Amino acid sequence: MGAVTPLGSDVRAFLEGLLAGRSAVRFMEGWDRYRGLRSLVGAPAELREATAIPRKDRRSMGRMSLFAAQAAKQAVLDAGLSENELGSGRTGCVIGSTMGSACSINETFETMLPERDLSNLTAMQFFKCVSHSAAMNVAQYLNIAGVVMAPSAACASGLQAIGTGYDLIRLGRQEIVVCGGAEELHPTVTGSFDILFATSARYNDVPERTPRPFDRDRDGLVCGEGSGIVVLEEYERARRRNARMRVEVVGYHTCASGSHVSQSNHASMIACMREALGQAGVAPGEIDYINAHATGTEHGDAEETIAIREVFGGAVPVSSMKGALGHTLGASGCIEIIGSVGMMEKGVLFPTRNLENVAPNCAGILHVREPLERQIRLFLKNSFAFGGINAALVCRAV
Amino acid sequence: MKKTLSEKEVIALTNRVLAESFEIEEERLLPEKRIFADLGLDSLDTVDLVVALQKRFSITIREDERVRSIRSLGDLYTYIMTVQQEQQAGTEG
Repeated sequence: MGAVTPLGSDVRAFLEGLLAGRSAVRFMEGWDRYRGLRSLVGAPAELREATAIPRKDRRSMGRMSLFAAQAAKQAVLDAGLSENELGSGRTGCVIGSTMGSACSINETFETMLPERDLSNLTAMQFFKCVSHSAAMNVAQYLNIAGVVMAPSAACASGLQAIGTGYDLIRLGRQEIVVCGGAEELHPTVTGSFDILFATSARYNDVPERTPRPFDRDRDGLVCGEGSGIVVLEEYERARRRNARMRVEVVGYHTCASGSHVSQSNHASMIACMREALGQAGVAPGEIDYINAHATGTEHGDAEETIAIREVFGGAVPVSSMKGALGHTLGASGCIEIIGSVGMMEKGVLFPTRNLENVAPNCAGILHVREPLERQIRLFLKNSFAFGGINAALVCRAV
Repeated sequence: MKKTLSEKEVIALTNRVLAESFEIEEERLLPEKRIFADLGLDSLDTVDLVVALQKRFSITIREDERVRSIRSLGDLYTYIMTVQQEQQAGTEG
């Protein structure tokens, strides 16, 4: 596992931040120059030692791909993969994001549009802006020669990437897949949610108090950035080489609501979770923990609550990491899987930060309100995205 | 009117572009060095080198066929000297 997150630039720092209940949300200096932007908070990650990546690998990386490359490097070192294994053609790379580097896309248009002049665009801007930028750059950096794909499904991208890696291995097409998600914070990214009134705008002067998943006083999501990368490997292969197996993926599903581009829909969330559980051959009562998508929006959190209550009742502990991390969008599915595996290894469930008063429309499920010592054998992770796209993954301890 | 830079100034500014944009150590920036073989640039880098030189010298060279025949750093210095004189003359004319 590898992670560059708003709470820290490696897995250990990230988990320490979560366990300490820290907030990564900050007031974003300079964002107030964007007229009409109500939400002036974000959860930035720190870009450290980017020059450790060779120039020819780094030159085509925007901020998002740099995060992904660093997280991927951590992940392959953690998994103990050799260069031969990475370059064999039996190792793939599936990394999703909402889009290419937001900073680079803005730079491109800022360079080109004032005079409608392309002559000062660099060759590298294209590689930073494309939607498969993170997957492509990580594959080049690590010399991966197998399947390279970039699921782009907004906030479900990271979980879809893991699910796709799982499917590639189940189908026998790859033995190992480096997979995950990456995203980059930029005022135009927050702005795209702000226009829809989906962002938090009432806590600009007290950023650490937002977002507030499931809370009575929640007012929207806070965008973050970073990357989470995991290495999936075919079980018997991993066992034969005595790899350190942290968790086994046992069920996955992704589906659409087919009803509305932005309004969450509990019926399709229910269908998604039930299918993932069915794929895993697991009854709802066997799940020890649910890592919710819950971003702190009024509608999304309420719909997810209905869906969880319908499938699991009120006995399975549920928490969201967004209160601490912000919403790392396309990276969130994988970063939060890593956080959940960390909880599993520590035997502690991390609570939902900023959940002070459970909202009436988020009641009836077992919210984790303080660190809870609990052995996790099976957990379920949800991701729900604009476009009506749902994803759910079930993992089992090994 | 724009000032024509001396050869020394052109060399210094070109070297600064190469050092900043392509992370090449200053001591390796010698006129006889070949841009691809010795300094490690490739075809993608040359697109970005052209953009960086255009900005640094306020010249337009993106579509100049002569760029393709540049091999060494010395060729590049000479080319920039020539272009700035041509474009300077064009402006004055």
